[in-house]
Amino acid sequence: MTANGARTAGLLDRTRVVLEEALFAYRGGPYESRLRTVRERLDAPLRVAIAGRVKAGKSTLLNALIGERLAPTDAGECTRIVTWYQDGHSYRVTLRPHEGAPRQARFTREDNALEIDLGGLSHEEVAELEVQWPSQTLRTATLVDTPGVGSLRAEISRRTWELLAPDDEDTPADAVIYLMRHAHRDDLNFLRAFHDRQVAAPNPVNAIGVLSRADEIGGGRLDTLASATRIAARMAGDINVRRLVQTVVPIAGLLAETAVTLTEAEVAHLRRVADLPVKTADDLLLSADRFRERLPELGLTSIERDALLDRFGLFGVRLGATLLRRKVAGTATELSEQLTERSGLRALQRTLDSLFFERREILKSRSALLAVDSVIRAAPGPATPRVAGLVEEIIASAHPFNELRVLASLRAGWVTGKPAVVAELERVIGGEGTAAHLRLQLPAEAGEAELMAAAAESLARWQRRAENPLTRYELSIAARVAIRSCEGVLAELHRGRS
Amino acid sequence: MTTAPTVTATAPGELLTLGLRACTAYGRADLTRRLTAAQRTLDDPSIHVVVAGEFKQGKSSLVNALVGATVCPVDDDVATATPTYVRHGEKHRAALIINDDPPRREDVPVDQVRRHITEHRDTGDEAGTAVGVEIRLPRKILERGMVLVDTPGVGGLGSTHAAASLAAISMADAVIFVTSAAQELTESEVRFLRRARAACDTVICLISKTDFYPAWRRIRDLNEAHLRRAGLALPVLTASSVLRMHAVKAGARDLNVESGFADVVGFVSGRVGGGAEQRLAEHVRDEVLAVCDQLVATFTAERTALLDPAAGQRIVAELGETKQRVEALKTSMARWQQTLSDGIADLTSDVDHDLRARMREVTREADDSIDESDPADTWPEMQTWLRARIAHELVANYELLRVRAGEIGESVGEHFRAASDGLLGAIGVHSPEPVLDRTTLDHKVDLEKMKLRKQAMVALKSAYGGTLMFTMLASMAGIVLGPIGLGIGLVMGRKGLREEKKREEKARQQQARNAMRRYCDEVTFVVGKDSRDTLRQIHRRLRDHYTGLAEELGRSNAAALAGAEEAARRSRTDREARVRDLDAELKRLATLQSRARPS
Repeated sequence: MTANGARTAGLLDRTRVVLEEALFAYRGGPYESRLRTVRERLDAPLRVAIAGRVKAGKSTLLNALIGERLAPTDAGECTRIVTWYQDGHSYRVTLRPHEGAPRQARFTREDNALEIDLGGLSHEEVAELEVQWPSQTLRTATLVDTPGVGSLRAEISRRTWELLAPDDEDTPADAVIYLMRHAHRDDLNFLRAFHDRQVAAPNPVNAIGVLSRADEIGGGRLDTLASATRIAARMAGDINVRRLVQTVVPIAGLLAETAVTLTEAEVAHLRRVADLPVKTADDLLLSADRFRERLPELGLTSIERDALLDRFGLFGVRLGATLLRRKVAGTATELSEQLTERSGLRALQRTLDSLFFERREILKSRSALLAVDSVIRAAPGPATPRVAGLVEEIIASAHPFNELRVLASLRAGWVTGKPAVVAELERVIGGEGTAAHLRLQLPAEAGEAELMAAAAESLARWQRRAENPLTRYELSIAARVAIRSCEGVLAELHRGRS
Repeated sequence: MTTAPTVTATAPGELLTLGLRACTAYGRADLTRRLTAAQRTLDDPSIHVVVAGEFKQGKSSLVNALVGATVCPVDDDVATATPTYVRHGEKHRAALIINDDPPRREDVPVDQVRRHITEHRDTGDEAGTAVGVEIRLPRKILERGMVLVDTPGVGGLGSTHAAASLAAISMADAVIFVTSAAQELTESEVRFLRRARAACDTVICLISKTDFYPAWRRIRDLNEAHLRRAGLALPVLTASSVLRMHAVKAGARDLNVESGFADVVGFVSGRVGGGAEQRLAEHVRDEVLAVCDQLVATFTAERTALLDPAAGQRIVAELGETKQRVEALKTSMARWQQTLSDGIADLTSDVDHDLRARMREVTREADDSIDESDPADTWPEMQTWLRARIAHELVANYELLRVRAGEIGESVGEHFRAASDGLLGAIGVHSPEPVLDRTTLDHKVDLEKMKLRKQAMVALKSAYGGTLMFTMLASMAGIVLGPIGLGIGLVMGRKGLREEKKREEKARQQQARNAMRRYCDEVTFVVGKDSRDTLRQIHRRLRDHYTGLAEELGRSNAAALAGAEEAARRSRTDREARVRDLDAELKRLATLQSRARPS
């Protein structure tokens, strides 16, 4: 990772130079403050938006990622204001109204979730909320919770569109986690609008799809998550989805949120269900209503039962009780571990690491360059050709951008070849993550010598492909990018050794 | 399951038997045919209940739960792709409905159904492939002609499937809109419901999966509020297919109540089935009454002539005149005939013009959007969009056809009635006692209108061979929107990147425009032919129907004329005996009439 950072640090520096040029060209003008914000962002954590249709489970996922129940969640549509969650030294909520200066808002934390006092303003009058919260996760990335699209309350949908796909501005997020329940038409529209058109549109480089509410897919059968994994894999292979997101992973959001915030009391309550004879337990868990009302001798009050359903869902109660009964997990820690793994949260975190966080420099540089580009186009001036030339130079020549472009072209089906070759190409250019072992398809614990050998072998293979006169034109250009990628891996390994 | 309360004193089946007996006794084969047709409708009423909704809301599960067997495949991932018609049969059987001309059925093993319903995902089926699957099953709920139609998920209001569902709904007797308790109704669901409600009178909103979502009561309240706000007064039911299946398996009555299916079944067999049954009963009553009217008029004419030989002369003369008018009704010069031919000709050209105007608009929009984007990026979405957009225009075009065909049926019926009115009733004026109480007719005007319109609807339904609109849309889907060569050069290095991109983009846009135009032309051609054929069928059907009526009138008139002429030749005693006979017959018919008339 450090080596990787060194490799892309040059990119950030070059981007900074372009920004300085642009700032100089537009100083004193209406765009100066916007460019300044862009420059500041280069040094801030990666901004990841969580988007999707209404009720896709965005807030729940955000809580699971942070590991705290911060964002309020509810059965009805709940999130109505775009909310930024970022790391800080103190706990603070800032409110940005449409009119007037930002101000600090009072908040309470009842029942865990934040309750923010809008200070007499209505939802419509507030543009954004900014929550500052000391947290490990937020140190790596600033998370943005958005209201869903497709809401019957049109205002709510419009807000999300404005944030992620403004008509006239760059999007303020560097990357997006897109929650989908199915390849719905609204989803595709939304993703299309989110992706830019300039660098290589539409672009799967900064988006991953999450098949959310995975626990609901099979009506709550215990093998539901296996089914969800299969569906996610199928969706990730779908040509229309592939050109919009890098990959699709399943997650049972509610289960994940509960798993990372599990309490001893909850486990004790679950154990009562686990201790019932199997037949009785199955009968009790046939429906949510039954669990709520039947079997008074269970020894749980109706408030406790409602709380369990609220936290776990019917599927979670079934799964949790089964894990306890079968002694797969005994303590709260073990159960939390099991549920975190089974909810798909771990897999999602790994995917985020390799696709977003390890690439944060290039993603940030990319959105900064796009922002500069949009300013140039909105307000052409005497310095425009110069700045535009600089932007294009970086985009066209920086190797990481070439990798992204090849990746996008592969995904769009422009570069074709034998399936095995295309799959290898995608890996080598970092399609599954930029770490050396991922590029070379080796296990994470592979030794340096093994990596070196594999990289050298891969380099030779791609050189042959690039020079083979029978290789198609597009593929041979892509092969040249792959050669650079292999060389990069080798250089890193050498640097690490010396 | 009990039948909805009937207003008739006599069951429609019994009425028909009595009417048929009378027709046979009086040797009127033409009237027998008419009642036999009514008998057929009564025996196989085909009440279509369309189950619609978004993807993965549990539509197939609902159909399965209703019949208590897994007839529609349910899968975590793969969704229903072909409409499935579940109807009554002696044995569990399955057949594919093949999109041929005319559509035909092909038997398939029951265990193969899954493959056919889910196989062709998003592919444009070529002609000759299955456009529907028909499953027959011995079930009490289906016994009285109920057909449950499981449809593919609508996938947003703009999709092709949504257009197909809406078209199916326009011919349905009832619609069950399924939305799961996982979330509130979304914007596109409400828009779909609004259009469904406009196309069909009986629509309910069913919230499914109540076993799994603890907050289903809140979702129900929220949905009711959304519907109120949207001005949609629909009944909202809640149900759990999972619990119902458990209940069926275990034979547990309390679990069945818990599943909420008691209400759903009540709605389907009560309100939908009952309503349809009532309409059928009315239809049968009207047919029997019409037959009685003709017989009574015939006998009354003869009786009048028998009682008063002087009047006999006049009656014979009048009947002779009537004969000519009836003959005139049958010729192509008759006003109703002209209304029909002109109406169909006008409608054919209007529908064609409407279709072209719509397609021109689509082409224009598509041109604009091709200009704005690079087909290399947008072509797949563009194809989907184009298909769905066209599907919607086709449905709107077809709506025009449907509504206007109904109007034609109505005005043709009115003209026919105006021309035929009094033809036999005139005889009644001269009869000693009024045989037909005409005062009841006034408040039945609206009902009459509906009946007149019905002829055209029946013609439409039969034109689509029972597979509703899906066939038409399938024939559209059969047209291939050719792929365009992408010709993307993966250009590296900084020089000329932008210029090269521009040049290639222009070439692709031109290709895309051509492909799109060809496609639109082809669709216009195929669909244009389709509507012309449909209209021709409607024309033929309406003409045959009213010509048949004119012939009945002719035969009734001829019988009356023969009776009246015969009367003059009879001896006195013979005459008295015949009057007695006729009185007895008329009394019998009066009994039948009073039984057929709603009490």
